[in-house]
Amino acid sequence: MTTTGKIGSLAELAAHIGDGDSVALGGSFLHRGPFALVRELVRAGRRDLEIVKQSPGYDIDLLCRAGAVRRARAGIVAMEGNFGLAPWYRRAIESGAVELEEHACATLTAGMRASAFGVPFQPIAGVHGSELATLNKWAELPDPYGSGSTVWVIPPIRPDVAVIHVNEITEQGDARVFGTTHWDRIMTRSAKKVLVVAERVVDAAEFSARPELTLVPHFLVTAAAVVPGGAWPGSCSPGYGIDYDAVSDYLTDDEHSLTAHLDRAPETTRSQPA
Amino acid sequence: MSTDWSPFSYLVTNLARFVRPDEVTFSGVNSSFPMLACLLAKQAYEFDFTYLNVAGGVDPEPPYAPLSSSDPVLTHGSRSIFANEDFYDLCARGGMDLCFLGAAQIDGHGRTNVSCIGDWHHPKVRLPGGGGAAVMLPTARRSCTWRTEHSRRVLVEQLDFVTASGGMHGVVTPISVFVHDGERLRLDSWHPDVTLNEVIERTGFAVDTTHARPTEPPTDREAAALLELDPFGAFERDAAVALR
Repeated sequence: MTTTGKIGSLAELAAHIGDGDSVALGGSFLHRGPFALVRELVRAGRRDLEIVKQSPGYDIDLLCRAGAVRRARAGIVAMEGNFGLAPWYRRAIESGAVELEEHACATLTAGMRASAFGVPFQPIAGVHGSELATLNKWAELPDPYGSGSTVWVIPPIRPDVAVIHVNEITEQGDARVFGTTHWDRIMTRSAKKVLVVAERVVDAAEFSARPELTLVPHFLVTAAAVVPGGAWPGSCSPGYGIDYDAVSDYLTDDEHSLTAHLDRAPETTRSQPA
Repeated sequence: MSTDWSPFSYLVTNLARFVRPDEVTFSGVNSSFPMLACLLAKQAYEFDFTYLNVAGGVDPEPPYAPLSSSDPVLTHGSRSIFANEDFYDLCARGGMDLCFLGAAQIDGHGRTNVSCIGDWHHPKVRLPGGGGAAVMLPTARRSCTWRTEHSRRVLVEQLDFVTASGGMHGVVTPISVFVHDGERLRLDSWHPDVTLNEVIERTGFAVDTTHARPTEPPTDREAAALLELDPFGAFERDAAVALR
């Protein structure tokens, strides 16, 4: 049995991401995002990141607010819930401070599939008639088997790092989630390395009793941290739901509100395991 | 003529009326109205249909309607999790009968813009972006969208950017329902509290009214189902929809 421990502190986990890295973030909008790690990147003053996610919101907004982002590759960006657009992300794009590669969620997934499948491009249905194709210089190929139809193909998207937030992890780094996996599975197969933030550690025997529930096996995981409540102010089902008041406070437009928000986060208010 | 049909109820109810028996229907992120419409259809209509949502739910029975239309509570009672890659692939291969997709601007062909207001490279407003649209609108059998504002800046002759093509089957606003006939969006019905003229005036593209009629009022079951979904009027307050 592999016994190498993968679990360290949140700061150690964040140290695996460098300035300028391409970082894929798991979850969707306010649900099961690796938000504790995102906040740690802000505390560590990371710069020039490329953020890759089908449906970012709070995470990309916070990173834009902190000036940590150079480029976004995204499908749909909003705070969601009843909070509307992501204001700091919106300003960053409108001012040109952050460059955007706009996708449909499924074309971003196609790019991840290309790298996960080890092929130079990935065909995707639809796209016909969308100006996103010209904007992104995607190619349209004829069916080589002669149906007469054409298909759009998306080039590989290979993030330096994928970070996901999971319900449970073993000491060795096997990770599993309850409920929907969002796009976490393909993300972890497309990135060069995988980092995991987990709600709790469980005994390896619990994983081997139900191996089919494991989303990411340990050998794909570079490092992990355990942060109970780390998906705050979003949800991590079945443990907790969205903290609407905290999101609302975060959206208050003054310098103090960002600091106050970071200080209220569970990773700073609770003691962390060594 | 004046009714007590609120524009909020008008939107949800008319979206629900696009749901058909034995079909596969999907509601996504940022989509409180379609989520309510699908849950309303489950309660108010006699027929069966498969309701998929972006939280991975398959015919869920959530104890309440969540503010976030991607909330995990939308998998409550579901016997499987049909996650993002799965429902997108289903749509891509032609297995999605009815998809609810958001739009900021809609043109008379039923094409949509969810990307930007103004020039894409120097936007006046950066909108959420591509999302489901560019892949789902051309591949779903039918798609429907909604806007809480009926105006010439929403229903436009010319989109600022064509995010998705393929043609919306249905569009619901607080005052009207448009249906695509394979060629263009045509007015299907209008809210009995406004005039036909007002609908035409407030629409940026040419409105064909040939088959239009006042919208049928909500049935008792539709009204009761919506009341059950929004018992304290929280969704209605958040949406703040007005006739004008």
